[in-house]
Amino acid sequence: MKQLLGPNRDTIWTIGGGKGGSGKSFVTTNMGICLAQTGGKVILVDADLGGANLHTFLGISPPNVSLSDFIQKRVPHLQDALIQTLVPNLQLLSGAQDLLNAADAKSLQKRKLLRSLRHLDSDYLLVDLGAGNALNVLDFFLISDGGILVVTPEPTSIENAYRFLKSAFYRRLKGVVSSAGAKALIDGALDRKNDLGIETPSDLVERMKGISEEEAKRVAGEIERFRPNLILNQVRTKKDIEIGFSIRSACKQYFGIQLHYLGYVVYDQDVSNSIRRRRPLVLENPRSKAAQCMVEIASKLANQHLTGFHAPGEQG
Amino acid sequence: MKRIEDQTYYEILEVSPDATSREIQQAYERAKETFQDGSVAVYSLFSDKEMKKIQAVIEEAHRVLMDDTLRKDYNQTHLSSLDLRWPKSENLPDAVESPMEKKTYLPFSEISIDVGDGPYEGKMLRQIREKMGVDLKTISLETRISLKILELIEEEAFDQLPAQVYLKGFLRGYAQCLGLEPKRVIEDYLRSAGVKKKK
Repeated sequence: MKQLLGPNRDTIWTIGGGKGGSGKSFVTTNMGICLAQTGGKVILVDADLGGANLHTFLGISPPNVSLSDFIQKRVPHLQDALIQTLVPNLQLLSGAQDLLNAADAKSLQKRKLLRSLRHLDSDYLLVDLGAGNALNVLDFFLISDGGILVVTPEPTSIENAYRFLKSAFYRRLKGVVSSAGAKALIDGALDRKNDLGIETPSDLVERMKGISEEEAKRVAGEIERFRPNLILNQVRTKKDIEIGFSIRSACKQYFGIQLHYLGYVVYDQDVSNSIRRRRPLVLENPRSKAAQCMVEIASKLANQHLTGFHAPGEQG
Repeated sequence: MKRIEDQTYYEILEVSPDATSREIQQAYERAKETFQDGSVAVYSLFSDKEMKKIQAVIEEAHRVLMDDTLRKDYNQTHLSSLDLRWPKSENLPDAVESPMEKKTYLPFSEISIDVGDGPYEGKMLRQIREKMGVDLKTISLETRISLKILELIEEEAFDQLPAQVYLKGFLRGYAQCLGLEPKRVIEDYLRSAGVKKKK
């Protein structure tokens, strides 16, 4: 995990959340445009490696260059694969189709890609992830301390988001422990029906102390540094909005992490209209309710690293 | 991180140790709603056994904290001196070291100090913050608003501040953190920005 830390770590936002259709790409695109409008240099990365289509959300035709050209070494540098969009300050790194799916052989490529991503020159790097919690997706999610979960207020979506968060959480913890015993304990904890008596992350920390105080301390520190964010999409009622706060409480009690409720986007027919017309909502219909929500969220993000916000415990 | 059973009733309800009865009641209702059987936000995370445990603790927390006598006894046995440093409606003790150093979550908004009644311009915000004995860095960590922006807000460097729509968000966050009425702060601040820019 250490080698993943790089100069750009604070400017990266990864957008995930488990379930398909929760609005990750919509949020990524519109948030990116809002941030570009504040004058920051923004790069959108389409890391939905099975079904890349951020270009469609942006209203441009399928690009000629993509991540795959970099991975296949057809272009030497990642920045050569960047595409200028119709929005000033906004560039797109289009997704590769099916390239990283054979996880084994590609692990080296993945590392190279992650490393190169962090060295791209931008103020904001927004990485749109695919659905599911495959290791590839998790590793992309974890390149930032502040991954963003996009969730709709439905049981299925929340359930998947928790499953995703849990996988990401334990994968992250596994990255900071070194002994085989500690790693095995974390693997065991991930299995809910484990016979170790570990039901929650706090049980895990307790048990870890039995193996090594040192490792337990590292794990506890890592839990504190993990600060995912939540965007609740397609909310229809005040009660829906409050679900975000409930999710925050649940994460605090269960994982011991401070989930940041970044905001919500109201359900709005204008959203699907804009997607059908292949025109980003915040450009097409900036006065719509959902667009206003996006502006609000982007403004919260903008302040977090205009001038080097660092999460507690982060150095430099 | 703490297990359910290791948390104080205040932590369970996510309120500060000097919360008013009204705040406790509200927090209780929120917690009860969050952790009720079948709640979409929790059912897939906690087992039935854990849910029963949490529900019981929430009820117990409410029962104890809503009763003045019980709460007093509870505070004496369960709160460290650190938590008791901010009794509501009493003066702040002198040399309070920065709570952030101790890695506790600082309930700024619960600190009862005279925040005046505006107008909330940059200077006023700084004064209130300094009265609370909180530095900007701490506010920045709490609100996740960058230090630079907070400085610009306090300095009223209007020409360097971001566009109004973003500024509003920052002001809201800062105001909430100081326990001020966000709407009021935004209005006052923007009015003052408008007047001073013209000069």
